[in-house]
Amino acid sequence: MERETILEVNDLDITFELRGKQLHAIRGISLELYKGEILAIVGESGSGKSVFTKSFMGLLDKNGSVSGGKAVYYGSDDKVPVELTGIKKEKDWLKLRGHEIAMIMQDPMTSLNPLKTIGAQIMEAVLLHQKGSRAEAKKRTIQYLTDVGIQDPEKRFFQYPHEFSGGMRQRVVIAIAIACNPQILICDEPTTALDVTIQAQILELIKELRLKYKLSVILITHDLGVVANTADRVAVMYAGDIVEIGTSEDIFYDARHPYTWALLSSLPQVGIKGENLFSIAGTPPNLYAEIKGDAFAPRNPQALKIDFVKSPPYFSISPTHKAKTWLLDERAPKADPPPVLKIIREGGLF
Amino acid sequence: MEREVLLEVKDLEVTFGERKKKYQAVKGVNFKIYKGETFGLVGESGSGKTTIGRAVMRIIKTSGGEILYKGQKINGDILEELDRKVIQEIQMIFQDPQASLNERAKVDYIVSEGLLNIEKGISEKERKERVNQALLDVGLLPEFASRFPHEFSGGQRQRIGIARSLIMKPEFIIADEPISALDVSVRAQVLNLLTRIQKERQITYLFIAHDLSVMRFITDRIAVIRKGEIVEMAETEELITHAIHPYTRALLSAIPMPDPKHEKEKKLMVYDPSIHDYTTDQPFWQEIRKEHYVLANKKEAEEYKKLYER
Repeated sequence: MERETILEVNDLDITFELRGKQLHAIRGISLELYKGEILAIVGESGSGKSVFTKSFMGLLDKNGSVSGGKAVYYGSDDKVPVELTGIKKEKDWLKLRGHEIAMIMQDPMTSLNPLKTIGAQIMEAVLLHQKGSRAEAKKRTIQYLTDVGIQDPEKRFFQYPHEFSGGMRQRVVIAIAIACNPQILICDEPTTALDVTIQAQILELIKELRLKYKLSVILITHDLGVVANTADRVAVMYAGDIVEIGTSEDIFYDARHPYTWALLSSLPQVGIKGENLFSIAGTPPNLYAEIKGDAFAPRNPQALKIDFVKSPPYFSISPTHKAKTWLLDERAPKADPPPVLKIIREGGLF
Repeated sequence: MEREVLLEVKDLEVTFGERKKKYQAVKGVNFKIYKGETFGLVGESGSGKTTIGRAVMRIIKTSGGEILYKGQKINGDILEELDRKVIQEIQMIFQDPQASLNERAKVDYIVSEGLLNIEKGISEKERKERVNQALLDVGLLPEFASRFPHEFSGGQRQRIGIARSLIMKPEFIIADEPISALDVSVRAQVLNLLTRIQKERQITYLFIAHDLSVMRFITDRIAVIRKGEIVEMAETEELITHAIHPYTRALLSAIPMPDPKHEKEKKLMVYDPSIHDYTTDQPFWQEIRKEHYVLANKKEAEEYKKLYER
């Protein structure tokens, strides 16, 4: 089945200029986002996952720029592809931001205006992005509040952000994003600041809204544990590159890249009490310097000689699953995946 | 074998504000922590778990009940001698490594600040040695002593926070969400470090967190707290595999598991406090299974007892 692509990224490079030095934050990423899917991007802090998605909205810091490759958006109303990486003017971004691609940030405490009622904040988005009178806009706002699971929306409409709990604020932030009527919703660590119970509810909500509003969702997180429930596909990011991508089943049951193995093994959910939890040695590479070979090689106990010399290409495991590691080359010695994979596959966690 | 009780909390109450604005954050909490164990306090934001930790630390005042450390009361007014002993023996590790270190001080000073207060006559040479040793103990280099906190990553800062506790040679450490602000890969390192320190020095932990999956890995016993009351308490594996209270069951169902098939079939439980009818039949603390206590009234206890009977 051929799926419709809504966003296509080709060989994207992003560089930051810092004190006269070049920081190569994104190193040649190619990726497709399909219509209606939830794609999770997983990586450690500093792996570039936020920078990558910010570039689709023209939100890179001033010293950062796209230095190669392109990103094309296919979802606009008139069906004309938009080359995101070619947009220079702020005016052109304004047409796109919110209306086509909306974003929710990690911290619901800082992304709302404390001086305005939450009703007014959602209505602002409705009035800006949808046609209709104020009365209609208010009606829709109340509908959005109901949709994101806020009880008693008529009363809550007139309340201020400080009267809401963290989870409820995140729901309001989601309501604002939805009110812009976007095609793509980018969720940047939407649950990191929240309790586990609230986290589960917010992820559930994102899944529901995806169906109701026909959204394509990019979910950014550092915690591989939370995406099994939500994501259709998972992209694992390391040092500005996607090292493995596949369906959730591919990644959790049949991961091939040593970095994905390491991430899975270090989850406390799979830890055995009394034994040391697996932890990844070393630190992520310095992106100021040129990276030679496989970026993960210095931290990978199973690294091959070639890993330090030549960067691996993608090896295809199945039509949905590919990974950038020399271990998949036919000449490579057989590497055993960690035992944790087998435990997960056999449902041995419970 | 009778185990030695290190800390005992009896009918602890903490109230914030006065008269109309009065808010009772902790309502009659009881628990014992045995020497050498890791005791977990799990609950959501606002449950009062941090408040309990801080009350034991004596950062906030209690309004009722007793906190006994090695059998001696440490809340309220205590003698100066005991005060000094408690300051040295009970240490705390905080959640946010960005906020808990003094930005303007060098690591050297941050780590030895407590030492300077307790051992006033300490020589400069010995102080330096102790700082170096503390840094080595947590896996940092002694050279780091001359740097400022902003030069470190989140995981390293958390290690500095741990070094600052260890230098006091504590017997009891309160760790308040020590890993929730960290990346998953760094979490593993810090958890391993805490376990190693415990093994080497027989330290007792009170571990406060909202995430039961981390708790399962690190604690020996767990108390589940909700709105200032403990609703369930048992040994960790018993609590996870035979959870009784509906609130605990809701917390467990919210743990994300790295297994897509299981997750897609999973039904999320949301706790609804209105299921308890406590109007006439009042709840009290009952042992439902062996060493497994739940807050329930008589009628609920009957139902709970049937839960795991075959």
